[in-house]
Amino acid sequence: MESIKLRKITSLWILIVLVLFIVNIVLGILMRLNQGEIIHQSPITFYANMTTHGLTQIGIWFVAGMAAVNYLLQRYVKTSYSANVVAMVLTVIGILMLWSSTYIGKFHAGWTFLYPLPLRIMWAKWATPMFFGSILVMGVGWLTWSVSMMTQLLKKYPLTRALAWQHFKKNPSTQTPPFILITMITLIGIITCLLGAVLLLAMYSAEYFSNGTFVNDALLMKNLTFFFGHTIANEMLYLGLAVIYELFPEVGGRPKWKTTWYVALAWNCTLVFILTAFFHHLYMDFVQPVGFQIVGQIASYMASLPAAGVTVFSVLVAVYRTPIKWSLTNLLFFIGVAGWVIGGLGAVIDVTITNNFVLHNTLWVPAHFHTYNALGNVLFSLAFFHWFSIQFTGGIHKEKFTKLILTLLLIGGIGFLLAFYIGGAESIPRRYSNYPAEFPMAAPLAAGAALFATIYLIAILIFFFNISKRCLNVLFSPS
Amino acid sequence: MQYSILLLFLILTALSALVFTFVFISSKKVGISGQGLSNPLQKRFWFLLILFVVLGIFASVTIPRSPYFLFADEVPARVVHVAARQFAFLLSDKAIDPENPEGKDSIEFLANELVEFRVTSLDVNHGFAIYNPSNRLIAQTQAMPGYVNRLRWKFKEPGKYTILCLEFCGMAHQVMRSSFTVK
Repeated sequence: MESIKLRKITSLWILIVLVLFIVNIVLGILMRLNQGEIIHQSPITFYANMTTHGLTQIGIWFVAGMAAVNYLLQRYVKTSYSANVVAMVLTVIGILMLWSSTYIGKFHAGWTFLYPLPLRIMWAKWATPMFFGSILVMGVGWLTWSVSMMTQLLKKYPLTRALAWQHFKKNPSTQTPPFILITMITLIGIITCLLGAVLLLAMYSAEYFSNGTFVNDALLMKNLTFFFGHTIANEMLYLGLAVIYELFPEVGGRPKWKTTWYVALAWNCTLVFILTAFFHHLYMDFVQPVGFQIVGQIASYMASLPAAGVTVFSVLVAVYRTPIKWSLTNLLFFIGVAGWVIGGLGAVIDVTITNNFVLHNTLWVPAHFHTYNALGNVLFSLAFFHWFSIQFTGGIHKEKFTKLILTLLLIGGIGFLLAFYIGGAESIPRRYSNYPAEFPMAAPLAAGAALFATIYLIAILIFFFNISKRCLNVLFSPS
Repeated sequence: MQYSILLLFLILTALSALVFTFVFISSKKVGISGQGLSNPLQKRFWFLLILFVVLGIFASVTIPRSPYFLFADEVPARVVHVAARQFAFLLSDKAIDPENPEGKDSIEFLANELVEFRVTSLDVNHGFAIYNPSNRLIAQTQAMPGYVNRLRWKFKEPGKYTILCLEFCGMAHQVMRSSFTVK
């Protein structure tokens, strides 16, 4: 049984994530409205919004996945409440530091803060250390949380068992639940890329405090930046998948999924591929060794194989001609998996070097990652939020507006994303506050996208008002 | 090329959406006695194998056509040095001195001659993206401080080509541009 304290802190995580998500969608809509020439922001305000939107989005969906995994992990091992609290406090402080650096200090180097842009001060001087401080504070919180969860896991499951290696033999004597396997693989990835971030920050601070006597290597810094940035953005998806493995069969009234040799093999392979797939962010840096570029394409393809072949197939098989108790929870999971597949298709197209040559840094890039986030990973977490919120309603619950929420999410999401994909095909650059005259379709597409994003926002608001009351009840209930 | 990519994506998306919809409807229609998929393990094996083979073919066909190998065996007829800085491009037939950077006002190429761009940056990372006279992105590389990226290309169509920065480089990133003419 999970402790009451864990129940309360999970409620608080859900409320924090949803409030920040709503604010963040508004920031995104403002950006598209500006690009659509409906409103007029200064480029600095636009890029400050862009920096805030990117890093906040990564942060909230990462912690949403972690909070869900932490809650469900309690079914198998005892987790540390203190680590959970530390992560929450540091995440909130980190977000406040980030927002002060971008909105008071006008820091606007983008969430990928590509070296050496953050050191070319075009904002308040204190804003650069404040921005890096925000990453450091959040990173320490997340590292503490991840290491704590991993330690607790290893107390019960030795490493080889947590990685389900016994399943490579015939008739394994012990079972590793898929949830444990995926959580372990994901935590290893998270800790590795957070350590990469520590190195990156150390190198930035060495240059920042050297008074010009030390200069970093731009190619190495770019590799490190994407080793951290790409990996953390993908690991947060895997947190969502761990939750699906645990909850999807349970919510639908089906038997729990079991680990088989190929599930174990697929996820062990994913650990390797996901840590080398980031090379695809450097395809257009022709000085990067060609071997790395080819590894980037192959690893990116291979990373999609276990995910698509095992997870997607498992979900489809679990549903096909099978009586399922459908609810908002498993509908969100199911649609989320479809969104994740479609975003994955856009990603596989983009990680093919010959395509990347004409798609890199066009709107195709935000198109595919918004697909597997806005209609993929976000829905995985919303599904967990919904499932969690009805656990404490005494077993009587009928969700209102299920069809309305899903319809608005789909209409808003698809319209918003399609504008990005068409923009990519039109060669429209990403990260432009205003579009040049060469792209007559860019502004109308952006304005249309803002409209559809507003429909998506309405769905999120209805969802939020539906479940926030239940989460507040959990948070303030005496027992 | 971009619209062919979009079309491929939309076809694959429609197929995926159809599969998910079909599976969902099959679950709604089936009675309490639904048995699910027969032989799922065997079908999964074939699904994975087909996916593996398709991606393998895709990789082996596309990797040799990567921009790193473009015109690798030919000698360029023109070499143009490009230095990017916030928020302009300098283009020159001579190597650009970082201490005293200067570029030419206008650059012209002949159609179908092999041009090699040697692209670097004097400050932060920039993108060096070439748009054809129809404003379609046809080739690009990055401009990175401390490194020179070599991009080789033959321009077939005469006209004015636009260069845009495709790597976010600061507050005036969206107006960083240059151009050249192909005769």
